[in-house]
Amino acid sequence: MRLPSRKVFTIDRMVTSFFLLLSLALVGYFVYVCIGWNVIVSLSDWKGLTPSYNIVGFDQYSSLFNDPVFLTSLKNNLILITLFVPGSLFLGLFLAILLDLKVRGEGVFRGIYLLPFALSFVVTATLWAWMYNPSIGVINTLLGKTGLEFLKSRWITDSNIAMYCVVLAIIWQFSGYTMLIFLAGIRAIPESQIRAAEVDGASGFDVYKRVVIPQLKAPALSAFVVLVVFALKAFDFIFVLTGGGPGYSTYVLPIMMFRETFSMTHFAYGAAIATILFLLALAIVLPYLYLSFRREKE
Amino acid sequence: MRFPKLRRVTLYILLIFFAFLFLLPLWTLITTSLKTDEDVIYTTPVEPPLSPTTEPLITAFNLMKRSLLNSFTFTIAAMILSCLLGSINGYILTKIRFRGSNMVFLFFTIGIFIPYQAVLVPLVLTISKLGLYNNIGGLILTHTAYGIPITTLLFRNFYALIPDSVIMAAKTDGAGTWTIYRRIVLPLSLLPFVVAAIFQFTSIWNDFLFGVALARGPGARPASVELANLRGTTAVTWNLLMAGTLWYALPVLVIYFALAKYLMRGYMAGAVKG
Repeated sequence: MRLPSRKVFTIDRMVTSFFLLLSLALVGYFVYVCIGWNVIVSLSDWKGLTPSYNIVGFDQYSSLFNDPVFLTSLKNNLILITLFVPGSLFLGLFLAILLDLKVRGEGVFRGIYLLPFALSFVVTATLWAWMYNPSIGVINTLLGKTGLEFLKSRWITDSNIAMYCVVLAIIWQFSGYTMLIFLAGIRAIPESQIRAAEVDGASGFDVYKRVVIPQLKAPALSAFVVLVVFALKAFDFIFVLTGGGPGYSTYVLPIMMFRETFSMTHFAYGAAIATILFLLALAIVLPYLYLSFRREKE
Repeated sequence: MRFPKLRRVTLYILLIFFAFLFLLPLWTLITTSLKTDEDVIYTTPVEPPLSPTTEPLITAFNLMKRSLLNSFTFTIAAMILSCLLGSINGYILTKIRFRGSNMVFLFFTIGIFIPYQAVLVPLVLTISKLGLYNNIGGLILTHTAYGIPITTLLFRNFYALIPDSVIMAAKTDGAGTWTIYRRIVLPLSLLPFVVAAIFQFTSIWNDFLFGVALARGPGARPASVELANLRGTTAVTWNLLMAGTLWYALPVLVIYFALAKYLMRGYMAGAVKG
């Protein structure tokens, strides 16, 4: 047997430590230092292209809450949380149950339902711009052809319904993801439990209601966290589809943050919006991480 | 579960109806990108072209080829770097126990969930200071740094399944930590590398936010930003826009059809998007 020389061992250790420290430094800087720096900018009066770190406290935050654009954006983020999140969860659960009913060609259907989720938001937003185009777009011409003329609408160009058009399109994109999570959860339930319920006289959807769905709490929770965080940070899709318009009707916090910061160079103001977004996300993510770390330890 | 015949027919009608809804936008993507300007006006989007043409595809390719090349360059570089670092981190966090290793894991995991808006202003300032604004290098650095949390999680989950006894045996043979990684862990890592690489490729390729904040100039502009610009140009016709969309979506579509199985494993590992 070859005995390890002390030197080899040390160099070995150093190489591994080097890579871990490199990762820690990158994540430490780009995540944590940048978050802290952003908070500092949000407490300053930086406006315009020349940096200013003149700390003025919570001025930006108090102007935000008097800014109607901020309140509209916040309201639209809440619309996403209250409609898009449950919409994707329920449609995903429904699709997962359909696919669990011993379907022929299950893999093909699963592949079709998940496909939109793999695509870039820039792609799906462009596709939905074509769907919703009021003059020659997909939906209106289909409605015209099928005699449903009266359902035609101005879709994303109508400020009353534009936000709901956004919600519908991102449910389309995300329900394949929730389907995947729920399907994995369903398949993890032992066959014997389902048999037992069937012996007890439960049939069809009863089995799902009584045995399957109550056991899907863990996958539902993790999908919920992912969806809520997305509902807060949704940017690409809306930016490309509507740009926040018409007017401010589809403004969400990330769009307002981007416009304030990079179009109008209101750096401190934009940083304050970003900090609020960060705190909202943290309020969802930290309890979730705490729960899953505790579960892992058990 | 058994169902009466009528119910099974209803089931398949529902499944096909949803498949239709999910595929409709993609179908019109293909039909429209093969249409002449006249066909776009005289046929509905769902109808196939009357006289199919590849002209929009050729025009769109010429408009987008530079940005597609940019995207390939930084996506592949950042994919490789973030996977390598994630693999080493995953190995250290599962096989070399040290005080505070759980804290280190938490430190990385939080990075998966933060909305990137919270770092955007300092990120742009940093990248500019480094002279990497409008530069491929800036995008590689950014995507590598923000990719480490998720790749670390993916590799950690896989390495937790390698029995500790394998590592212990090598250790008693006198192998050091790096030697064990290279000789034992790395050869067992083909599957996690495939999963992490595909996951990273699609998420970096699909990114828009970092691209639009860090590289709007033509030198390094990603295909996502180029396509969004095209969409913002009012003079652009729908067949050209759809053709550009098709080119930009193509690499991800190819990966999806060839390797969906591995991409799904990435999504299920607590993956996030956006």
